[in-house]
Amino acid sequence: MAYVATKGGEKAIQESEKLYHQLKKPVTPEFVQEIMDTMPYLVDRVMGEGSLYAPDLAALAIAQSGGDLYEAVLLLRAYRSTQPRLAYAKPVTVDETLTLRRISAAFKDIPGGQILGPSLDYSHRILKLDVLDGPSPTDEEEDTAVEPAEKPAKPQYPLVADWLRQQGMMTAIDVPEEIDAADIPDVTRDPVMMPAPRAHRLQALARADTGGVLALGYASMRGYGFVHPTVNELRLAYAEVQVKHPVTGEYFSAGRVRVSQAEIVTKGKSTYKIGFTATMGWNEVKLIAGATLDMEMSQAEPHPALNEDFVLYHTEPIESSGFCIHFKLPHYVTFSSSMDNMRKVITVLYGAEAAGKDADEREEDAEKTATSEIVTKDTM
Amino acid sequence: MAQTLSRSEALGILTKAPAEQVKNFANSLLDEIGDVYVEKNRTGLVMLPYTDSAQGTTFHLGEVLVAEAHIKGLGQEGYGMVVGRDVVQAMALAVIDLALALGLRTDTIAQLVSEQRQQQAADDEHLLKMVEATRVEMETF
Repeated sequence: MAYVATKGGEKAIQESEKLYHQLKKPVTPEFVQEIMDTMPYLVDRVMGEGSLYAPDLAALAIAQSGGDLYEAVLLLRAYRSTQPRLAYAKPVTVDETLTLRRISAAFKDIPGGQILGPSLDYSHRILKLDVLDGPSPTDEEEDTAVEPAEKPAKPQYPLVADWLRQQGMMTAIDVPEEIDAADIPDVTRDPVMMPAPRAHRLQALARADTGGVLALGYASMRGYGFVHPTVNELRLAYAEVQVKHPVTGEYFSAGRVRVSQAEIVTKGKSTYKIGFTATMGWNEVKLIAGATLDMEMSQAEPHPALNEDFVLYHTEPIESSGFCIHFKLPHYVTFSSSMDNMRKVITVLYGAEAAGKDADEREEDAEKTATSEIVTKDTM
Repeated sequence: MAQTLSRSEALGILTKAPAEQVKNFANSLLDEIGDVYVEKNRTGLVMLPYTDSAQGTTFHLGEVLVAEAHIKGLGQEGYGMVVGRDVVQAMALAVIDLALALGLRTDTIAQLVSEQRQQQAADDEHLLKMVEATRVEMETF
């Protein structure tokens, strides 16, 4: 095998990038703002998978990548890697968040009630073609403005899981030990070893590829797993980022971020078992599929495609998409080596004269040779 | 009023106030504070831990982009951190925090914080009234 050193293509690469940008409109601050304002769920998805809460940068990444989400997530992760970690915030507990949506598919009358919040779950999935055909109707014309209630909803709610625990339907959890946030296992700094610490598993799910988590979670739901999920509780909320003042030592809020979490339950022998996923931003399908996978991964003998290392390694968006698209990059050396080997095999199997013939011709020649050998044997 | 306002309380409200208003206010304090030494003014990340409600495990949800400023002046320190990448806003917060540490214009700061607190409470209340409109009133057949 000979190495094929290649050079060139620099001009083509430059022009290719220019053409990419020329075939779409330029990115402007107004367009980035428009993405933030009109597509918060897309921005959330990129932030969650990018593992960086920065709505303006996520919107910029979406615009810059022309909406290629893996490229956008990569841009965000790359930016993240340039920034120093300044601090660890106080851990968020969901019952302290400003909750906007909180539903349960398991119980009708959960303590605090069911709040649908912002959702398209019950809407007609009909394209509004008139948006394309004429001037946009005002909110009043379309009757989209919310009619606020007289009293505000409660900002915070107790956990449905705690309610189940109080009734003895679910195993109680020990009060978690105080842990220094810097000591929490962190997949961005430690190698993920299997079996993974639960902190690694949940962090990996929080930043996992939505499509990957859904594919594997759906496989479980369809019957490849042992879990039939029921959504115990699903929440969309704002969490305060509580950081410590370096002089006074007191915590203060540096601002709010969107977070979401889901618990699913399934029947155990005498209690319900619970699976969990949370992520930055609001991303319900990832939460339900992720919580299902959390429970699958805890089974004694899960389906091979639902065990921990399979799930965690194959739902990492940058590694998986990066590995996939690297196959389109030059593999001239390895492929040249493969070609050399193939030629040798052809020569050994079909003889030197077979070189240059196509596969069908070689097979025909080989069949003729075999037939003539049989005829020769018969006539003998 | 100023005596009851802690620095953390003020920062917690002002981080969510309109950035331009906070910057303009901080600018008005600089004449009295004089020269400040800027120790840090940069963007960076804050890791956000989250508590798993299934098993009680604390894990890292992801990082939040923040801007921070740490300054010194007249023998005291001021600090500001805010979600986002507006380092000028972080600096403005640090200036206000320094003014509180020095006991400068505390009444005016308290007034600003009070106004912003009321505005934020009103915004939250309006949001939660809209949320309440989505409460499901179940009927059992």
